[in-house]
Amino acid sequence: MSELIPAWDWQNVVVAPWTTDLPIYGWIVLMGFFVCAACGLAGNYLILRRMALVGDAISHSVLPGLAIGFLVANAWTVGGSADDASAAGGSSHGFSYGLAVFIGSLVAGIVTTLLIEIIHKRTRIKQDAAIGITFSTLFALGVVLISVYADKVDLDADCVLHGEIAFVSIQPFLSFAGHEIAPAPVIRMGIVALLTLGLIVLFYKELLVSSFDPGLASSMGIHATFVHYALMCWLSVIVISAFEAVGAILVIAMLILPGATASLLTTRFPKVMGLSVLHAALSAVLGTHLAIWLNSSTAGCMVVAGTGLFGLAWVFSPSQGLLKQWLRRRKTSQESVREPESEHTGIEGA
Amino acid sequence: MPVTMKTVRVHLGGLLCLFLFASLSQVHAARIGEITEISVWEQALRFFSFRDPSLRFALTGAILLGFTCGMLGSFLLVRKLALVGDTISHAVLPGVAAGFLWNMEKDPVAIFVGATLAGLLGSFMVTRLTATTKLKEDTALGMVLAGFFGIGICLVTMIQRLPSGNKSGIDKFLFGQAASLGASDIQLMAVVTVLTIGLVWLFYKELLTVSFDAGFAHCVGMPVPWVHHGFMLLLAFSVVIALQAVGVVLVSAMLITPAATSYLLSDRLHRMVIIACILGMVSGALGAFFSFLGHQLPTGPFMVLSAAGLFVLAFLFAPRHGVIHRWWSQRARSGQVRRENTLKAVFHVLEREEFKREGVTFMELAESRRQTLEASEESCRELQRMGFATLPPGEKALYLTPEGMRRAQTIVRNHRLWELYLTDAANYPPDHVHDDAEEIEHILGEDIVRQLERQLNFASRDPHGKPIPSPEEIVSVHGAGSGGLPGGSTGYGKPS
Amino acid sequence: MPGREGENEIITCMNQPHISLSDHARTDAWTKGLSDAEVPLEVHDLTVAYHHKPVLYGIDLRMPPGKLIGIIGPNGAGKSTLIKAIMGLIPTDSGWVRLFGEPNKKNLRRVGYVPQRESVDWDFPVNVMDVVLMGRYGKLGLFKRPKKQDRDIACACLEKVKMMPYADRQIANLSGGQQQRVFLARALAQESDLYLMDEPFAGVDAATESSIISLLHELRKQGKTILVVHHDLPTARNYFDMLVLLNMRLVDFGPTEEVFTYDKLQKTYGGRLTILSEVADAVRQTKS
Repeated sequence: MSELIPAWDWQNVVVAPWTTDLPIYGWIVLMGFFVCAACGLAGNYLILRRMALVGDAISHSVLPGLAIGFLVANAWTVGGSADDASAAGGSSHGFSYGLAVFIGSLVAGIVTTLLIEIIHKRTRIKQDAAIGITFSTLFALGVVLISVYADKVDLDADCVLHGEIAFVSIQPFLSFAGHEIAPAPVIRMGIVALLTLGLIVLFYKELLVSSFDPGLASSMGIHATFVHYALMCWLSVIVISAFEAVGAILVIAMLILPGATASLLTTRFPKVMGLSVLHAALSAVLGTHLAIWLNSSTAGCMVVAGTGLFGLAWVFSPSQGLLKQWLRRRKTSQESVREPESEHTGIEGA
Repeated sequence: MPVTMKTVRVHLGGLLCLFLFASLSQVHAARIGEITEISVWEQALRFFSFRDPSLRFALTGAILLGFTCGMLGSFLLVRKLALVGDTISHAVLPGVAAGFLWNMEKDPVAIFVGATLAGLLGSFMVTRLTATTKLKEDTALGMVLAGFFGIGICLVTMIQRLPSGNKSGIDKFLFGQAASLGASDIQLMAVVTVLTIGLVWLFYKELLTVSFDAGFAHCVGMPVPWVHHGFMLLLAFSVVIALQAVGVVLVSAMLITPAATSYLLSDRLHRMVIIACILGMVSGALGAFFSFLGHQLPTGPFMVLSAAGLFVLAFLFAPRHGVIHRWWSQRARSGQVRRENTLKAVFHVLEREEFKREGVTFMELAESRRQTLEASEESCRELQRMGFATLPPGEKALYLTPEGMRRAQTIVRNHRLWELYLTDAANYPPDHVHDDAEEIEHILGEDIVRQLERQLNFASRDPHGKPIPSPEEIVSVHGAGSGGLPGGSTGYGKPS
Repeated sequence: MPGREGENEIITCMNQPHISLSDHARTDAWTKGLSDAEVPLEVHDLTVAYHHKPVLYGIDLRMPPGKLIGIIGPNGAGKSTLIKAIMGLIPTDSGWVRLFGEPNKKNLRRVGYVPQRESVDWDFPVNVMDVVLMGRYGKLGLFKRPKKQDRDIACACLEKVKMMPYADRQIANLSGGQQQRVFLARALAQESDLYLMDEPFAGVDAATESSIISLLHELRKQGKTILVVHHDLPTARNYFDMLVLLNMRLVDFGPTEEVFTYDKLQKTYGGRLTILSEVADAVRQTKS
């Protein structure tokens, strides 16, 4: 057991990442932050719509889209001339790969949503089972594809789960106007995160109304099904952009953890969004430190950090925390129940 | 059938499924030869000869876990706890890792205990989260799933990076490798399977009642919390024994998919459980077989795909609940309704003329049913195809055959009886009844009609004063020619 | 949602005196001379709250045996909650419930429960006979299977509700009224002394409704006590011997003629009674 947990080396774990090792860890933290932030923001809508596990589903089911995208792109580039092949460098970051993978993810997202709907609308199978069947089958398909075509697909099965974020720093940098800016995946993820924020700001009213009251939304001219599919597609885009670096596990976790933590601390929606981003940043930083110390998967450690933050919120939340509830229970229960004097309740379930 | 977005989506979905499966089989066939030096046939023969001890273990293990997961998964499905199964199966990962760390090797008992504890802890946390915060159940499930799994992945990667880590075999637990099952693993699986069968058999009626209506079960004196937590414990056990063969990520599929398939095939719970067990065993065996064909291919995905294949078959072809059957019977029903409405319209036209003539022109029919001429002609041809009418060439008219006349009278009689019942017995105002009767008349069975007649004292007129054809009239016409209906306003009257 | 005038009336209503512990005499009035074991249901100071918002507050009841009793009140008044609290299905914040003199958890087997139809998944793979047999499970105990005698009783109960021809049908293929009758047959199969029913007439056709009522009258003749959550004010007057008027607090409890008055209904329903003005008129006419 002692060899499992390395000694705590203050210099290595806490200081070095921000000073000497910044070129490596800086990008890792940034990538982690972008992933967590994008997922956290989009995930808040999933929580509102009670579709938290659909997010889980999409994160699994984009895998065959990813695999098929790789295979298709492979077929394209290899089919071209020798010059084309070497220009593409066989690298998984050439444009055709990126495009094929992007399309593959969108198709996978749409197919997942479609299949779930077909199963539970056309038979007596309920939605929870429909979600479970669809995503596990598609995920299994994806794993089979990448196992069988291991040489043509730039992923291996384990990576699918937790990614290999460390490679982010050593990816080729994208240049702009002659200056190297950042590794390509980081830039991609950054753009996706910014776009997520932008779309949320732009469509704030529509998203809010269609999440709370689909009936009102359709009377306002907002097509509920369209919003649903659009949300699913955008989710697929986020998942795919994050996949290679962090795998499925961080995405699934970060769709729910920031939003859930924030909702324990405040009730106003804009504040929830802000706190989600803060949670994302903290998880990314703390997770990286944890991973350095324990020599473990960075994505997994970011999830652990996020879970830890949630645990703190659960216990110490000023309004709903366990501590507060325990303190309240010290008084007798009926005293803590307000007498029904000044309001008529419209409580459901009576 | 009108082409709507819905039908387009259905067809698209169906085509996609077929495509996925076709591509999968192509893919596999193409790749096997490249992966192994032995040909596919030889591998398959090797499989069926059962000479390989590791193969025997793999197959036995796959069948046992398919059985257990199918049995417990049925209850998960009908209680709508599919995603709880998913959460528990992800939540066990840190327990598996802890089991490895216990002795720094693959110790089945330590892994079993660790994983079970982790699973129970997970389900406990879900309950506490929903009870103490305003988080909804799906959010709580998702968080426990992701949180525990994340901790698990953390531990797993730590173990893999240890000097002794590479020999631990823990990575097999992610996607499963049936070939790595050993004798002690099989023993454990057998024990859990026997335990599951025993407990489900012993407490079947408690499980049934709690699953169907927990409030009632409580009222009847059943120990509902014990049943629920006992079930969760069994579930944790079955998840753990399935881990090594199917892998953490895909166990929930083996719980849900065979159960969902049998849900479409049966209407009684005990039959559903049995069918789910059988399907689980078949999927397990198929999965073991396919993964054996290729070296080092993980078993879990193949089991899941086999189960999914069976599901698709049931989805399409199941006798009562399958999509094709439902579409077909709906089509048949709407065809029947169309034909009967045409017959009824023909009868009304003839009745207006007091049956003095025998034929009805297409134009009259089109007017009476407010259709286009082409549509009414098409309906008449359909009647001719079914033998209810003849369309003499040259004339644009139709003549009912004896069978057609009999049918027309029956449908009119049902309609008018029903209208009378609604106005007299159920006190509907007369102007409200026509639409209801329109719908009901097509599905009234003979015995219901007889009851109606008795209840209405064999009335001869409907609320609008029109005569109700009696059975005798209908029968007698059957033998007569195609013309002239004796009865109606001339009143054949009640049977004596 | 009540309008402005409605709100004021409700505030007035809430501040009206209700039956409190000091009115214990009146609560006790209908069970004078009965021992505790003969009183089928006694509720004392029952309070149920959900996250500190009360759903039921300080309920006191003592019911006489052999009566058909209706619970009426507006939506959200706590009627279903009361039934669930009596059966111990939900936790209470204060107070206790006694069934035939014993704490409710001990004597549940003497209670027959007919829940709301929505509480069950009708796609569940069971048929009508399976559901009715569940009513016998309480008598069987843990390891026994239903015997022929249990099946006979189940068949007899199905006959009483005229659902015997449907015994093999899967429950999804039943109409609303038929589903309600299956639930009723299940409760009858329990052979209980006290029946608790949650909106048994909701969404049911007229013929089924009248057959249910005649069945309840028959049960009453056998000395059973029946407590029914009812949603329809006009029929409440005709169906029940006694009424519980509930709006989070107990407004009143007593024989229908005494309790079904305009003033008391006004207190129960607050401003929303204006919708039921025709009922109010009818009541006033019977009084005049």
